[in-house]
Amino acid sequence: MELFYFYLAGTVAILATAMVITRLNAVHALLYLIVSLLAVACLFFQLGAPFAAALEVIVYAGAIMVLMVFVIMMLNQGDAAVQQESAWLNPKLWAGPGILCGILLLQLALVVLLGGGGSSEGFAPKAVPTKEVGIALFGPYLIAVELASMVLLAGLVGAFHLARPATRKHTDSATGKERNNG
Amino acid sequence: MEAVTEPSVLATLLNIGGILLAAVIFAALLTWGERRLLGFWQDRPGPNRVGPFGLLQVVADMIKLFFKEDFVPKFADIPVFILAPTIVMIAMLMGFAVLPIAPGIGVIDLNIGLLFFLAMSSMAVYSVILGGYASNNKYALLGGLRAAAQTVSYEVFMGISLMGVVMMAGTFNLREIVLAQEGGWYIVPQFFGFLVFLVAGIAESHRLPFDLPEAEHELTAGFHTEYSGMKFGMFFVGEYLSVILISGLITTLFLGGWLGPWLPPLAWFLIKTFVLVVFFVLLRAAIPRPRYDQLMDFGWKVMLPVSLINLLATAAILIS
Amino acid sequence: MQSDTLTRKQPLPTKTYALAARAFLAEIRRNANDAWYQLQDCADGFPTLWTTPGNVIALLRYLKHKIPHPFAMLYDLTAIDERLRINDYGRPQGTQKPDFTVVYQLLSVERDLFIRIKVPLTENALSLPSATALWPNANWYEREVWDLFGIAFDGHPHLRRIMMPHTWKGHPLRKDHHARATEVDPFTLSDEKQDREQEALRFRPEEWGMADHGEDSDYMFLNLGPNHPSVHGVFRVALQLDGEQIIDSVPDIGYHHRGAEKMAERQAWHSYMPYTDRIDYLGGVMNNLPYVLALEQLAGIKVPPRAQTIRVMMAELFRISSHLVFYGTFAQDVGQMSPVFYMFIDREKLFGIVEAITGGRMHPAWFRIGGVAQDLPEGWDRMVREFLDYMPARLAEYEGMVLKNKLLQKRTRGIGVYNTAEALDWGITGPGLRATGLDWDLRKRRPYSGYEQFEFDVPTANGGDCFDRCVVRVEEIRQSLRIIEQCLNNMPSGPYKSDHPLTTPPAKERTMEDIETLIQHFVNNSWGPVMPVGESCFPIEATKGLNSYHIVSDGGTTSYRTRIRTPSFPHLQMIPHISNGLMVADLIAIIASIDFVMADVDR
Repeated sequence: MELFYFYLAGTVAILATAMVITRLNAVHALLYLIVSLLAVACLFFQLGAPFAAALEVIVYAGAIMVLMVFVIMMLNQGDAAVQQESAWLNPKLWAGPGILCGILLLQLALVVLLGGGGSSEGFAPKAVPTKEVGIALFGPYLIAVELASMVLLAGLVGAFHLARPATRKHTDSATGKERNNG
Repeated sequence: MEAVTEPSVLATLLNIGGILLAAVIFAALLTWGERRLLGFWQDRPGPNRVGPFGLLQVVADMIKLFFKEDFVPKFADIPVFILAPTIVMIAMLMGFAVLPIAPGIGVIDLNIGLLFFLAMSSMAVYSVILGGYASNNKYALLGGLRAAAQTVSYEVFMGISLMGVVMMAGTFNLREIVLAQEGGWYIVPQFFGFLVFLVAGIAESHRLPFDLPEAEHELTAGFHTEYSGMKFGMFFVGEYLSVILISGLITTLFLGGWLGPWLPPLAWFLIKTFVLVVFFVLLRAAIPRPRYDQLMDFGWKVMLPVSLINLLATAAILIS
Repeated sequence: MQSDTLTRKQPLPTKTYALAARAFLAEIRRNANDAWYQLQDCADGFPTLWTTPGNVIALLRYLKHKIPHPFAMLYDLTAIDERLRINDYGRPQGTQKPDFTVVYQLLSVERDLFIRIKVPLTENALSLPSATALWPNANWYEREVWDLFGIAFDGHPHLRRIMMPHTWKGHPLRKDHHARATEVDPFTLSDEKQDREQEALRFRPEEWGMADHGEDSDYMFLNLGPNHPSVHGVFRVALQLDGEQIIDSVPDIGYHHRGAEKMAERQAWHSYMPYTDRIDYLGGVMNNLPYVLALEQLAGIKVPPRAQTIRVMMAELFRISSHLVFYGTFAQDVGQMSPVFYMFIDREKLFGIVEAITGGRMHPAWFRIGGVAQDLPEGWDRMVREFLDYMPARLAEYEGMVLKNKLLQKRTRGIGVYNTAEALDWGITGPGLRATGLDWDLRKRRPYSGYEQFEFDVPTANGGDCFDRCVVRVEEIRQSLRIIEQCLNNMPSGPYKSDHPLTTPPAKERTMEDIETLIQHFVNNSWGPVMPVGESCFPIEATKGLNSYHIVSDGGTTSYRTRIRTPSFPHLQMIPHISNGLMVADLIAIIASIDFVMADVDR
């Protein structure tokens, strides 16, 4: 039964991702990306990482994708963008990246098949409770966390600097993006 | 194996169905209740013609919405336009799944219940944003943009404000959080967390002081300008669902959930939630709407520091 | 006792104002070259100067900038089609009969004096230099004159139709334009015509004087109105937005244009009364007042004190009613839902009084030439007293609910600011002017209808922003209550209607005594009165600012030309000036704070 759920969520994730790259309309593509993220969250959940699953939904699907949709709405793409997209779907253009990706896929498949991945050991070998995640983050991975927070801080300062309007009257960091794309 | 689980599956189904049905029915009743309450506060009767106390107004409205032409504008992004209103309904109903209503009543007892709620509430944003985008209408677009900025910002404070409660209870499990309040409701030690969560909750459900995404005086109807019929109805009921969900969650997190003397637990939960819902309606009757940039300023300059300080103070006290 | 003082002090403001006008004429004759103009002695206390198209701008500039206590405000600008006029009233001797005259009316708030400048034009040279460089509010007035009379203004930045659709043929206020649909062929709408009309409605930013992209971004155009929840009627603002920030805004009016001025030329003097009610449809009988005052001034009717006091009382009741609607919708437009319901309950009580007295509610059309329609009913004083006792507590409650609300203050303070000089430049009158700190109220400065006998204050504020405009109006409600209380305590006895022969409808009592009065009664009731030849204008402090009817009588039973100067028309014109650079939500607060109704703008 668990296997069935796993393959179901996996299939959804793969199909949705395939739809992401073939959609002509950017918003539709993003919607499939959100579905794909949700499916991956389901996978995490089944593999015993509920915390990662929740964060996947809250952070990726719930915040980052919202901002992506937000930006695409602001860009106000119409039929012209769809036509441009369909022009880009010319085999000449995607053949190169496609082949390179195919090689990577092949490599991944070989590693999984030959290396004897964890699939034989069954699903959810051990559930990882939230507490353990926390302990791991603030124990062995403390430096990584601190580094990540430094990077985020730098990003925040940089974003504020970039989004800050030079002469405009109203400033607020949350809407900087919108104002620039106005 | 299967034979043993059979009755419990049935019970679970009843439990799930009962809770979801009750949630939808309460939300629908709230469309009537809110108008009656507003009428009461505004010296006017409110809907009082259909059935006793106008109670059947809900039915009349449903019939009207079902039979109204469900107009989809030609210029809309049709699949997204149809998808948008369903998202809010589904996300909100999923949110009800983790709500511990009383001992033995509740859909699922997730270890990450609180995170699940946050995830669902962040999914509900899509409804408004996509509705605004798909309508291909400038008022709707502005409404969608406001919704995106407002909800993403207020989600941050919402999440941070809850961490104090999580620290005190030591768990994300909502049922355990309620049980941890046997010694005293968290509204006392976590008063600032409560305030921030309340405000963020109003912003998330975009109710009047924070109803900028629809702001009828500025954006006619904001994100749902182009919606009619049952699609509009779904937005409408979705909003009330989120009001009930937020009220229920505040009850669970800060007001001790079903805990209380004399009355059965279920009654306590319902009473507390009801009081909060009425408070939401009262807010709508009383307060004007801030401007969009004022709302953002308030969020980032007041709510964020308050919730962070609350978090730090809680952590410091717990550790010491 | 009060009635005695009233009779003794029987005011003749008209006479006083005529004296002031003469004094001004003497002054200007002493100080300025009269090659620019010729003087006309007018009955209505408006000194009138005639000038030529070549001299008009120089004369206007002189009056605005060069004299002490200048005429800072362009009060009104309109035209008269003189071609069918039989009597040459007031034209200086030795001048040729014009086909059209353009009329400028200026106001000096320092002299408390209105002045009229007339420019005669002939049909083959219908153009004048534009006054937009002197007064920004000349813009719409000149467009209106162009639209309705076909008189062009050279140098006008944007001379397009303003009231009529852009596809309209002809100029409606010309005497040769039909007044009713029955005078022309039946209306038909072919497919081509429909397409043409539809195409004319297409929004092209450049036609409105707006660019569609700036340095680093494309702009979004938002069409706010004509059908929008908070534009108070059919009013449209085209917005050029960068995000939610307003780069430029262009108000568009004319959707509520019903041709009230043209109708006046078809209605008997008396039967036009109900049309006036519907100009500022929140002002009720307040609209009747400038009309009857102008006619009474023209006919020389002395109105008995009781009628005057009744008029003042009714007008102030309607001022309260109008301000209550403003107060409620103001709160509602910044998102506060409840106050409007409480205020409509109070307004309902007011309408109860109005109904008991007049029989009507919103549009009683109750004033009459020479008095009012009926005497006050029995028990009116009890009703008014009850209201006076009830209202102050409610106002105190609203103050806590609305004005002291921090969120509302944050939304409206410092938004939509203009100072006194700008207000005068743009023709802003009424509470909008007083909110800039100038305590200029026509009821104090040029009292009419017995206002000089009442004690009341002129509320002002200093910020000139949305919040102050609201504060001033709220205080005016209190002052109106004071005036009504004085009316109640000192209501004079005596007739409610003048016994002047032109009083309409004439008194019935003496009709059965002799044939002359019977005939007169019959004629005045059927055809209506015949007003003497002349021109008359009587501005009053209406609910929203200065309102007046400039009436031209050619000695008939109908008006030759009726010009309705309404306060809301110039007020709306100022919207871009005070809202550009702000956000959409601020625009809504500004629109709410102006307090207009579209019927008052478009007429």
